Amino acid sequence: MDFRLTPEQQMLKDSARDFLADHCSSDFVRQMEQDRRGFTSELWAGMAELGWMGLLIPEEYGGIGWGLTELVVMAEEMGRACLPGPFLPTTLGALALAQAGNEAQKQEILPAVVSGEAVLTLAYLEAGCAVYDPLFQAATARKQDGAWLLEGGKLFVPDAEASHWILLCARTSGSLRDQEGISLFLAPRAARGLELRPLKTIAGDKQFEVSLKEVALPPDALVGEAGQGWPLLEQLLMTGALAKCGEMVGGAAKVLEITADYAKERVQFGSPIGRFQAVQHHCANMLMDLESSRFITRKAAWSMGQERPNPMLVAAAKAWVSEAYRRVVSLGHQIGAATAYIVEHDMTLFSRRAKAAELAFGDAAYHYGQVAQRLGL
Amino acid sequence: MNFGYTDEEERFRQELAVFLDKHLTEEIARQNWEDKGVGPEAREFSRKLAAYGFLGMGWPEEYGGKGLPPAYDFILLDELGKRWGAHVPLDVGYTMVGHTILRRGSEAMKKEFLPKIVGGEIEFCLGYTEPNAGSDLAAMMMRAEDKGDHFLISGQKTFNTECHYADYHWLAARTDFSPQGTGYKGVSLFIVDMDAPGVTVRPLWTMSGERTNEVYYDEVKVPRERLVGEKNKGFYYMMEALGSERNQVFVPSRLRPVLNMLLAYAQETRYQDRPLSKDPVVRRQLARAAVELEVAEVVADHSRWLEALELPMTHQPEMTKVMVSELEQRLVNAGMRILGPYGQLEEGSPWAPLGGRIEWYYLHSFMTTIGAGTSEIGRNVIAQRGLGLPRG
Repeated sequence: MDFRLTPEQQMLKDSARDFLADHCSSDFVRQMEQDRRGFTSELWAGMAELGWMGLLIPEEYGGIGWGLTELVVMAEEMGRACLPGPFLPTTLGALALAQAGNEAQKQEILPAVVSGEAVLTLAYLEAGCAVYDPLFQAATARKQDGAWLLEGGKLFVPDAEASHWILLCARTSGSLRDQEGISLFLAPRAARGLELRPLKTIAGDKQFEVSLKEVALPPDALVGEAGQGWPLLEQLLMTGALAKCGEMVGGAAKVLEITADYAKERVQFGSPIGRFQAVQHHCANMLMDLESSRFITRKAAWSMGQERPNPMLVAAAKAWVSEAYRRVVSLGHQIGAATAYIVEHDMTLFSRRAKAAELAFGDAAYHYGQVAQRLGL
Repeated sequence: MNFGYTDEEERFRQELAVFLDKHLTEEIARQNWEDKGVGPEAREFSRKLAAYGFLGMGWPEEYGGKGLPPAYDFILLDELGKRWGAHVPLDVGYTMVGHTILRRGSEAMKKEFLPKIVGGEIEFCLGYTEPNAGSDLAAMMMRAEDKGDHFLISGQKTFNTECHYADYHWLAARTDFSPQGTGYKGVSLFIVDMDAPGVTVRPLWTMSGERTNEVYYDEVKVPRERLVGEKNKGFYYMMEALGSERNQVFVPSRLRPVLNMLLAYAQETRYQDRPLSKDPVVRRQLARAAVELEVAEVVADHSRWLEALELPMTHQPEMTKVMVSELEQRLVNAGMRILGPYGQLEEGSPWAPLGGRIEWYYLHSFMTTIGAGTSEIGRNVIAQRGLGLPRG
């Protein structure tokens, strides 16, 4: 057992923190919430220069070929800085291609992802489904005259407008919630019949509704085998959930720093409020939530790279961290009080993102359901 | 980063599992778990554990141990916990007192006590709490007067569990009565024979049927050789030992059998033509407990890992204590809700589900957030030591 980062992981983390301190101030984050694209080319180019988008991409396509442990360690820094932009959707899109794409797709797109030229996203959720349910795939894809014709819609697609390529999930056979019959397609964002409608979100991130009206894609747009996309999608969603857990851990760490500093400085009744037991107990709860979240996230990520991975740990992590981070920001607001409720205060960045991250890739309720299933209930 | 065990550790775990499955009966497990109190069966099991080589893994060879990393002793605690064992039968000596003797005791004291502790032969009980010194332990008033070759001790201790079967009292008493010796400064630690003249033990029965005790000292003569380490340093030794004690006493794995019992119950019990496990509320409660248990395990592992590498422990063992004890309460509360009206039935009653174990655990669980320090004191410690918030 060893809870320490390796020297390489520590270096990665340190350089991410330095870069984000220079290029991603909270003023910049607030600005990007108002910006239509939500990030800048300079920021993206800087991230590419550090090799971030190649984190999970194999070396033969120009990436670093690291694993999920490194991804969550990086994500902690991104969450701490509230990094805007399409890092995670691009990483997941690239992972899909690296895992299941054909050689031409890999050759064309993966090096462009690494260099920062290609932005990707993943479209899998749909309108008309009242809860988070990735098996709900009503959009269809059928073969016609040698081409794939996609019809339907996708919802909650991050950074679709900034993307060059969209990984689209559609059903090629089976009925609504069947695992069998789900397929993944690689579509250019500019494909005819593919239209975007921006959503306005709690965290000011850039999510879209994607409608598909007779979108024609060439036969080689299929990623992996027709109808066999579910295991791949499931793996992408677990990766996304872990990365979100990492982000939440980083955000929680920063929120606790802000809160503990404030509790030491703010004087009421002639004493720093951090001397009062009520405040100390809130802070202790925050520290327990933070550290437990960090350990379960890292353990789950580590487990997925082992010979016998334990996917239940991923669901456990997403369930636990989603709720823990929400508790942390709630207590941070309670201690920061009116001051932290003002829009210029950084706390408001974290509390809104906490909700967005909780909802991304399934909230606690969804993941408790996953755990119950894996317990055999 | 590595959250797994080495091949050697896994091999040890498997050998141990075979041994425990054969020798750890329900009777012994429950004597272990305090609800029955250690009797001859648990003592024999303790000696057997040692004889088969499963005790003393992490202890120095010169005192009868094997000189291995502490990981092995934690594996022992985990495997006992999974089988309702809770801890080694004579656990106060083995998991608490022995470590302080090793760190602070004289060579003669180590030679006298450690081999017997490692051999599973003797037990201690803690003598800390007093009627007016609970959470504020440094307010203790038990007097130990220095008479040169011995100390003369008088006063009262309370809630001293295990004293009715332990061989020795691990006693904290005040040895400095000057204005400089107030609070934590004037306290010393002693080892006192439980059968020493002037020591009286009286039972206090808890609501879960466990016995704890009041202990009265009436001019008890304790030889100077039984002073642990230096005079007036006792409170410091107690605090120094606290982290490791928390790591060894708050073992998440002991909640596994409770969870497994409830999982099986939910699958086997039917209502309205379907198992309870198909009820969304029941599913959520059990899944939540399972998640919390995974989380508590990795939190405890972190704290143990710090201890094993002798890295500084500040708030981490306290975090383990607070989280494991509060999880225990939530888990048995969930259990009681799932059992519905049957939850109130005691062991031995007609219709009692799961042998009445959840009913007993429910009553027991009131103690876990109090014993060894309340959750509230724990949170103060976490905020002060973990975040540097000012002391009160």
